[in-house]
Amino acid sequence: MSDDTASSPDLNTIQKWLQSVVTHPNGVAAGVESDAAQQHVALTRDQLEQLVTRTSNRSAEERLNVYAHAYYARLIDCLGEVFPMLKRALGEEVFNSFASDYLQEYPSRSYTLNEMGRHFAQFFQETRPDRDEHASADNDLPVNWPDLLIDLANLEWTINEVFDGPGIEGQPTLTHNDLAAVAPRDWPNIRLQPIVCLRLLATRYPVNDYYTALRQADENDDIDKPAPAPSWVAIARRDYVVRRFSLSRPQYALLTALQDGATVGQAIEHAAEHADHLDDSAFAEALQEWFKSWTAEELFAPIENA
Amino acid sequence: MPLPRLGHDNLGLGLGLRATHYPHILKHRPSVDWFEIISENYMDSHGRPRYVLEQIAEHYPLVMHGVSLSIGSTDPLDRDYLKRLKGLADAVKPAWVSDHVCWTGVGGRNTHDLLPIPFTEQSLKHVVERVKQVQDVLERPFVLENPSSYVQFRGSTMDEWEFITRMAEDADCGLLLDVNNVYVSTFNHELDPHEFIRNLPHERIVQFHLAGHTNMETHLIDTHDNHVIDPVWDLYRMAHELTGGVSTLLEWDANIPPFDVLHAEVLKAKRHMGEQLQTDDSTEGSPATDDTHEMPIDDASWVPHPLHHMVAEVE
Repeated sequence: MSDDTASSPDLNTIQKWLQSVVTHPNGVAAGVESDAAQQHVALTRDQLEQLVTRTSNRSAEERLNVYAHAYYARLIDCLGEVFPMLKRALGEEVFNSFASDYLQEYPSRSYTLNEMGRHFAQFFQETRPDRDEHASADNDLPVNWPDLLIDLANLEWTINEVFDGPGIEGQPTLTHNDLAAVAPRDWPNIRLQPIVCLRLLATRYPVNDYYTALRQADENDDIDKPAPAPSWVAIARRDYVVRRFSLSRPQYALLTALQDGATVGQAIEHAAEHADHLDDSAFAEALQEWFKSWTAEELFAPIENA
Repeated sequence: MPLPRLGHDNLGLGLGLRATHYPHILKHRPSVDWFEIISENYMDSHGRPRYVLEQIAEHYPLVMHGVSLSIGSTDPLDRDYLKRLKGLADAVKPAWVSDHVCWTGVGGRNTHDLLPIPFTEQSLKHVVERVKQVQDVLERPFVLENPSSYVQFRGSTMDEWEFITRMAEDADCGLLLDVNNVYVSTFNHELDPHEFIRNLPHERIVQFHLAGHTNMETHLIDTHDNHVIDPVWDLYRMAHELTGGVSTLLEWDANIPPFDVLHAEVLKAKRHMGEQLQTDDSTEGSPATDDTHEMPIDDASWVPHPLHHMVAEVE
C-alpha cells in the first residue's frame, strides 16, 4: 500500500485508464500503449507497476490480463448464446472473430446482457464486403452470403426479444368460433389485433428453414447454404416458448396490414395483390384455411366489444 | 452496536437460482431454505424467467443479487436501472438486495465484469455517498459483497477489509461476505485470508457466499464451476464462529450440476457450524473435497464470474 497518494491518478482517471487497457482487443500490453489509455495515464508497459502492484510470481501485466481475457471471452460467449445458429453457420472461430469486432464497434452500454446483441445484424450490414469484390468468375461463391448472415442474425435477435418480451400467457385469444360468430356483412370492417408477441420478418433467404436445418444437424454436419429466395416468417410465443411459422407472401401481407391497423377487408385486399396465382375461389378458400390455422395458433387477441 | 446480522433473519442454507433447475424446482419443490436470484435476469423479464420466479417466490424466501449496480463507478448512478431494481424488489419482496463493491464500467460502458476499486479515501467517500443514495431509492435492506480481484493498485492506502468495514459503517449497510472471494483475492494478492475475515465488522455480515474456483497455480480465478474446496470450508467455519451464523448461499454458474448435487454441496455447510451444527445424515458420509482442481491449459478459456444470460427457448 502507498503512503503517498499525491501522485496517484484520481478514481475517475484510473477507471477510464483501466477500462481502456482491459478492453483492448490485443491485450494489456497493447492496451497500455494505446492512445485511449495514454490520454488518461501516460504509462509505458515497463512502468505498469507504478500503478498496479506485482506479486512474487506475477507481473502487473500478467495480473491485468485476467481481466482482459475475461472481457472478450465472457461477452463473446454471451453473443454465442443469443445467436447459436449464426455461430454454427459461421463456425466458432469465424463467429468469435466477428463478435470481437462487433464488441469493439458496439460495446455494451446497458445494465443487462440481454441488450448486447441488438446491433449485431446492423453490424454485419455496415461491415459487409462489397459484393462485386467477392463475385467469382464461375459464380460459385455465395456473393450474397452477408445477406444470409444478416437475415439469420435478425431472426435470432427477434427470437431473443420475443422469448422474454411481453406475451399473452394467461390471457384469452381469438378462437375460430369467435370468428365464425362474426356476421358476414361485418367481416370486412372489423379489425383483428395480432397478439403483442407476434413479429413478422421479410427475408432475402429462406432463413427460417435454414435455422431449422442448422438446429436439427449434428454439430459436425455441413449444412448447405440455401439459395436466395424472398421468404417470410412469423415469430410468436405460446406457453413461454418461441414458435416460428414460415409464411407465403400474401399471408405476410395480410398479417402485416392487420398489425398496422387495417380492417380485415383492407388487409385481404392487400394480400390479394400478392395472390395472382390464385383465382377468386381458391383465394377465398385459402383465406379460410389461414384464419383457421392462425386462430388455432392463437395469433390474435379477442375482438373488442364483439 | 448493531444487532447480529443487523437484525435480519438467518435464512439458512440457500442456492443461487439458475434456469437449468427451473423444471426440477417446480416439479419437486425441494427442501431448500431459500433462493438467491440474479436481479438483472428478472427485472425486465415478461417471459418464462419472471413467470417461474413468481411461482418460486410463493414457496421460498428470496434474496436479490445484482451484478450491474456499479456502485464504485464515477459515472452517475443509473436511475433507470435503480427504478427497475426497486420495481422487482417491490414485486418479489426479497429479504434484502445485494450487489458488489466494484465498478462495471465508465463513460457509459458496461464491461459486465466486477472491476476493482483502489482502496483510497476518495474511493471510500465516493462509494459511501452512492450507497446512501441507493438505500434512499430502494427503501429496503442493502448489502454489498467483496468481489474476487486479480490486481491491486499501488495507490491504495488501506486494506480491502478496512475499506469494506469503513464503508459499511459510514453508509450503514450490510455485508455479504463471499468466503470463496476472500480466499481467491488473498491468494492472488499474497495476503492472509484469516486476517481479512477476522477484521471485518461481524455484526454487519448478513449473508455468506460459497463457490468453487479454478486454480491456475500462480493465481486463482473465481469461476463458480466446481465444488467448494476444503480451505474455503475452513474459512467458512471461522466466519460462522465470528458471526454466530448467517444466511449461507452456494453459487454455481458454469458446468452446473444436477440440482441434487448442488443441494448436497450447500448442505455440507452444516459440518462446519461447530456446536450449532444440526446433524444431517445425508451429508455425513460424503467425502471431503480437496484442493486438487486441475489447472486448465488455456488461461483465456477460464472466465471469472459473473456470466449471467438467459437462453431463449424456441421450437
